[in-house]
Amino acid sequence: MKIADLYGRQLLSTEVPTELLQTAKGLTVRSAMKAEGNWVICNRCGSARPKSACALPGGVYYCAECIQLGRVSTTLSLISASEPNKFKKYDNDVLTWDGNLSDIQAQCSKNILTVFQQRKQHLLWAVTGAGKTEMLFEGLDWALGQGLRVAVASPRIDVCNELFPRFVEAFKNTEIQLLHGRNDSPYKYCQFTVCTTHQLLRFYEAFDVLIIDEVDAFPFAQNEGLLYAAKHAKKREGALLFLTATPGESLLKQIKTGRLGISYLPLRYHGHLLPTIKCKTTPSWKLKLKKEKLPNSLIFQIKLRLKKKIRFLLFVPHVEQLKQVQQILHKQLPGEKIVTVHAADEKRIEKVQMMRQNEINFLITTTILERGVTFPGIDVFVLGADDDVFSSAALVQIAGRVGRKIDRPTGDVIFWCGGYSKNVLEAIKQIRYVNRKGLILLKQRSTSDD
Amino acid sequence: MTKNDCVLCHRPVNFSIGLIDLMLPVKINEPTCCDRCCRRFELINQKQACPDCGRKMKKRELCHDCVKWNSQSSLDFKNSACFVYNDEMKKFMQQYKFAGDYQLAKVFRAQFMKKIKKSKIDLIVPIPIDADTMVTRGFNQVVGLTTGQHLTSALEVRADIHKARQSSKNRRSRMETVQPFRLVNPELVANKRVLILDDVYTTGRTIRHAAALMYEAGASEVQGNTLAR
Repeated sequence: MKIADLYGRQLLSTEVPTELLQTAKGLTVRSAMKAEGNWVICNRCGSARPKSACALPGGVYYCAECIQLGRVSTTLSLISASEPNKFKKYDNDVLTWDGNLSDIQAQCSKNILTVFQQRKQHLLWAVTGAGKTEMLFEGLDWALGQGLRVAVASPRIDVCNELFPRFVEAFKNTEIQLLHGRNDSPYKYCQFTVCTTHQLLRFYEAFDVLIIDEVDAFPFAQNEGLLYAAKHAKKREGALLFLTATPGESLLKQIKTGRLGISYLPLRYHGHLLPTIKCKTTPSWKLKLKKEKLPNSLIFQIKLRLKKKIRFLLFVPHVEQLKQVQQILHKQLPGEKIVTVHAADEKRIEKVQMMRQNEINFLITTTILERGVTFPGIDVFVLGADDDVFSSAALVQIAGRVGRKIDRPTGDVIFWCGGYSKNVLEAIKQIRYVNRKGLILLKQRSTSDD
Repeated sequence: MTKNDCVLCHRPVNFSIGLIDLMLPVKINEPTCCDRCCRRFELINQKQACPDCGRKMKKRELCHDCVKWNSQSSLDFKNSACFVYNDEMKKFMQQYKFAGDYQLAKVFRAQFMKKIKKSKIDLIVPIPIDADTMVTRGFNQVVGLTTGQHLTSALEVRADIHKARQSSKNRRSRMETVQPFRLVNPELVANKRVLILDDVYTTGRTIRHAAALMYEAGASEVQGNTLAR
């Protein structure tokens, strides 16, 4: 290990070779945890717990929250070296992407550039399928050219894996690394990092520009430790940009109090509004499922789609229900190939690939396909949308799977729910809100064209 | 984390206090893990287990491993285990021992203690860990599973032999392991009924080494108790 591996990092004293600890100059050593009264606070993830819930024998305490990245305890310290921004200068263009932005996208792209230049904290609320990644290029181009250290983080490994090649393609002259728990390549010091939000726990005042994609996704939204990590991974005066299609309550509150700037992109790249959610109430869908029945309207809609040759996704709340629904549909639709997929499914990637390649007409799934996947021209059905597993963000994301391609920019989103839950109403409200903003934008554009 | 979150899956635990719980002067034990997580661990019924090593069987009969053991050595040693060492238990051990999440021990502590209290013995001896592991891990995983009372640290790991982790070896090289332990004061064990505690019984090599030492020092009877088999 070299000192360069510690620039902007925070590693546990057990992870750094003792030789380096003794010889290297300019290392900062902070205690890994601090005890306050009956509580101990982890200096890496910021979580606080009562001493009784995190004790080791012998008066030592540890943090169970971020244990997957190596156990932090009161006997250890965090080692870091301040970020010197030692990067090579560019001889030729930084940005090697030659695509075009639509005029709304270009406007947002300009906003992002100013956020980076003024080192602000900002939220970009862009609808699902707006083309967020492309809008980052201009800002990143500037930051990399200035010799700043940048990172794009996402809570999901799939999203990181999808973003990485796109950035490699767009910044061919920049060294980019991909960091996540399932990637074995070792850490190296470089200017551009694509990583999961968990990996940010290992950085300390490293990035001048930090972008967090899909802030509303699990586990970032539910885990305060990760927000803490994000705030500490960037330099104190660094810029922080959140990207989301479905901002949660805490983000919206920060906007209201003015701590966070916001810009909207209420239209998709093809200039169409989001498809709205239709709800059908079937209070007894759970009982019916037990009796091996599905709501008649659902079966009708499925048969209709199959007849019209429109493909669709059917979401159910829990893994156990996949099998039940599959069996019922087997009886209803003889000869149809019925495939289900869930998070722990070994053939998950193959099954999604089958759907991509038009080999199957529909896929029954749990929330794993809520984001990050694009199937052209599909409709979406949700059975039991009022279940707790569907957060309002998840429902908006699910609705956002529809109409992503220019050749079929609209489509149906139908929810079957026992009753209108808070999350369902919230999702409907959010879509209505951005559509209203989108409509205003469309009107402005048509008047300025005249 | 609130007090009533499952320590394994971090989802809230639903449990209700019945009228009887309120009426009787018994301490109410709040569950530490939820039903869904509990169900993943497979309890071993002693009537359907190998009498020598505690492995889950169809009926109470010797398993093929124990038949082999009996043909090799004349050591009189009986082990019993609480749970099947299935994938879920492996995951638990990974998190508890190797990641070092000490608090997870409370999931099984009550059950493990109940089992120990049932045995008719004089001395309870946990399998020790070596000094290096103790420094990095910060706890002995076997002691962690108990409430720590009445334990006698009669054993210690010999410092003179190089020891690779048992879990990193294959069966063959595990079986070739030489005696890793040493008795601290052998007179403590003489003429006593000893119960040896360990977390997992895999090949039986480790715990049988410990048992052999006990007999050498004059123990009258040696039993074993492990969390998983």
